[in-house]
Amino acid sequence: MHIGARHEDGTCRLRIDGEFTIYTALQIRDGLLERLAATGGVEVDLGGVTEMDTAGVQLLLATKREGARLGKSVRYVSHSQAVLEVIDLYNMAAQFGDPLLISARP
Amino acid sequence: MSMDQALQTYIEESHGLLEEMERILLRLESEPQDDETVNAMFRAAHTIKGSAGLFGLDAIVAFTHVVENVLEAVRDGTLAVSGELVELLLQCRDHIGLLITVVAESAAALDAEQSATGEALAARLRAFMGGAPMGDAGMPAVQESPLAASGGGPLEGDYWHLSIAFGHDVLRNGMDPISFIRYLSTIGDIVSLNVDDSALPELDAMDPEACYLTYSLDFKSEADKQTIEDVFEFVRDDCTLRIFPPPSHLATFVDRLEHASGNTDMLGQLLMEAGVLTEHELESALRAQDSMKAAGGDAQPPIGEVLVKEGMVQKEVVDVALEKQRQIRDHKAQEARFVRVSAEKLDELINLVGELVIAGAGASLLARRSGDTALHEANSAVSNLVEEIRDGALKLRMVEIGETFNRFQRVVRDVSKEIGKDIGLEIGGAETELDKTVVEKIGDPLMHLVRNAMDHGIEPAAVRMAAGKPARGSVRLNAYHDSGSIVIEVADDGGGLKKDRILRKAIERGIVGAGQNLSDGEIFNLVFEAGFSTAEQVSNLSGRGVGMDVVKRNIQALRGTVDIDSTEGQGTTVRIRLPLTLAIIDGFLVGVGKSSFVVPLDMVLECVELSEADRRLAATRNYVNLRGEVLPFVRLRDEFEIKAPPGKRENIVVVQYGGQKAGFVVDELLGEFQTVIKPLGSVFRHLKSISGSTILGTGEVALILDVPALLQLGVARDGQRLAHET
Amino acid sequence: MAKTIMVVDDSASLRQVVGIALKGAGFEVLEACDGKDALSKITGQKIHLIISDVNMPNMDGISFVKEVKKMANYKFTPVIMLTTESQEAKKQEGQAAGAKAWVVKPFQPAQMLAAVSKLIMP
Repeated sequence: MHIGARHEDGTCRLRIDGEFTIYTALQIRDGLLERLAATGGVEVDLGGVTEMDTAGVQLLLATKREGARLGKSVRYVSHSQAVLEVIDLYNMAAQFGDPLLISARP
Repeated sequence: MSMDQALQTYIEESHGLLEEMERILLRLESEPQDDETVNAMFRAAHTIKGSAGLFGLDAIVAFTHVVENVLEAVRDGTLAVSGELVELLLQCRDHIGLLITVVAESAAALDAEQSATGEALAARLRAFMGGAPMGDAGMPAVQESPLAASGGGPLEGDYWHLSIAFGHDVLRNGMDPISFIRYLSTIGDIVSLNVDDSALPELDAMDPEACYLTYSLDFKSEADKQTIEDVFEFVRDDCTLRIFPPPSHLATFVDRLEHASGNTDMLGQLLMEAGVLTEHELESALRAQDSMKAAGGDAQPPIGEVLVKEGMVQKEVVDVALEKQRQIRDHKAQEARFVRVSAEKLDELINLVGELVIAGAGASLLARRSGDTALHEANSAVSNLVEEIRDGALKLRMVEIGETFNRFQRVVRDVSKEIGKDIGLEIGGAETELDKTVVEKIGDPLMHLVRNAMDHGIEPAAVRMAAGKPARGSVRLNAYHDSGSIVIEVADDGGGLKKDRILRKAIERGIVGAGQNLSDGEIFNLVFEAGFSTAEQVSNLSGRGVGMDVVKRNIQALRGTVDIDSTEGQGTTVRIRLPLTLAIIDGFLVGVGKSSFVVPLDMVLECVELSEADRRLAATRNYVNLRGEVLPFVRLRDEFEIKAPPGKRENIVVVQYGGQKAGFVVDELLGEFQTVIKPLGSVFRHLKSISGSTILGTGEVALILDVPALLQLGVARDGQRLAHET
Repeated sequence: MAKTIMVVDDSASLRQVVGIALKGAGFEVLEACDGKDALSKITGQKIHLIISDVNMPNMDGISFVKEVKKMANYKFTPVIMLTTESQEAKKQEGQAAGAKAWVVKPFQPAQMLAAVSKLIMP
């Protein structure tokens, strides 16, 4: 798993590549927490996520709520197939409120 | 790799394992082996069994299972190694080899002899285990196809509702809720899923490896509750799971509960049997019950309440289950209190007791004659016991009349609808007991009487209102014991009998003469006369006679009597009087000349000597003055035309029956006597004054007096004469 | 990418039959004949589920699971223990070691597939 970051207009654009699961949850949480504290908002690119489980979904939810609590924007973009599958299964698209690229699914 | 190849591997592997097993067994007896060696032997059997299961080789599984159990006991040290055991295990090893060759290699079955050998070996192995039950060797049953919901598929919106709160550790344990949800969708359709993340802490406070989510989902499936629960079997102890069945299942559950086998009267078990509750739910409810008790300190709440409170079962279903439980317990209590015995056996017993009574009376008589006091006393003791046995035996056949009465609830309801009258049935004395044989025969006469009371006794509502009576008529069945008889009354609060019309009609039909002077009772009783009845429904009373003569005949056949009491405008009561039993009576033995007669003891009031003065007077009239009362009497000597001259003294036995008192003039009073009624042959059936006979201890025959008949025959006649004289 | 399941059992035929069933369902299968063998094969792999027997020579299933649960990249990997009816104590021991799922021997391939499906999808 790898987290890449670049800053643009006060927003931090993060890209998570690889496994977004219980094995990486702690590391990703710490990374997200750090960026969120340091910037006005984050945009998380999930295009490189190869695997996601419930721990991952839970972390996405917690981060979104943290952003709302701090008054900072948290957006998830470019959901990968693995992410879409889980969000779809959990019927959570509305909970995230991010536009999902349904066409990405086969 | 194919299954065939895998099977080949299995065969080779098994032969290898069997060789190892043999090697270890041969060494085992002579030198103690280390734990791992013994375990290796166990493992060999275990492996052969385990893989056999995969290939569906059930014969191998079944036999190897028994071997495995014994080897496990050897390994655990609970079974000592002996030469005999080793010898047996070697034979078993060979048998497993045979099974592998025949069943696995040739896909055949053992022949009969080989199977018998296997069974014998298994039996000897079990004997080594001390007959202790062994684990189930069978293959775990593959999930049965879910029960089809009765009445077609689930209705729209008729879904299972699941609520699951996972424990914090499930994710760390490698259990991902995603998998369970995916698995659920293989046994049904997830209609809606809602994930509640409200328990999720703030990002920095959360443990990213812990689970904070709660799920609730609507699930459309034909699966049963256990199947759905089994989806979560690996997290069952690590989550709070509530499964609410679809509304349409309520009816199914209720239906299954109502048809429960009755094998259990425990509420939880009942609910499990009906598929309402799973074993796991029951266990956790029982734990909850215990903790509630511990917390509250009070009596523990009923399990039904806990189940409803915990959201495991709906209240309606628990209520049905409680009702069913009550029924099962009632039924069990009944079963516990009663032993079913065939009526035939009872009859045989009572017959034997009858013979015993006769034989006992004979012995008593001989003992008395012998003058041997000790023998006489011993015989008295026997007699007392015989008497108790007789009473006990008769009681066995006694049943409460209530059940017979209750049948009329339905009759009265149906008939009142049919004839358009509002009539209620009241029942009294339902606990009154009488002989079963009598009960069986009383049903028809009662039916006649009840129908008559409804048809002709109770007036139409308008007439009743006009007479100031409640619109709803009432028929009352009542029973009570009275001097050795049971009295059954059928009463109505209707218009009553009209004496003058009965009399007129009886005269018309030539039943009575125009000049006859009849008491009220006699007039009413005319309705029982054959030929009194008419089919014409001209009046209240005409129909009264329908079948009444038949009723009377039936009751007389039971040694009973029937009479009727009526007050015009207020109602009619038909009173049936029956002996408690048809088999044995306590009698009072009297002698006239050389003949003996038995008077049923419960009708005897007293015995008085006929004084010289009375004897003289009695020659001219058939009544005496008993302490200022007129007592009509019957001379048995005259009645039965006994030629022998009267003795020096005569006695009067005062009897009472149905409110009438009378005396029988006899020579000798011979005392109380238990007697078994022997019915008279058909030749003597016409004899009015004799109801039966009995055999005395001496072997002589004594006739049993039919007191009611004698009273009617003699006393009524004399009473009339008396009335004329005064 | 298909998920990988490791099957640890001293019976080659059992491994083969389970392997056939799992591959048929779309999984990759890695076989090992006992705990020691499994530990030597597991490193450097990405395994999503472990199916392990309890009673095996060299290293039994319980010890194996305890070792696996110490490994950073397998500590959260689900484990199915193969138990027998008479091994309730072993089942408890296995659960304490971290093997929360179980299948009772003897089993049919379909039963194994059902248990696996409750934990991971291919």
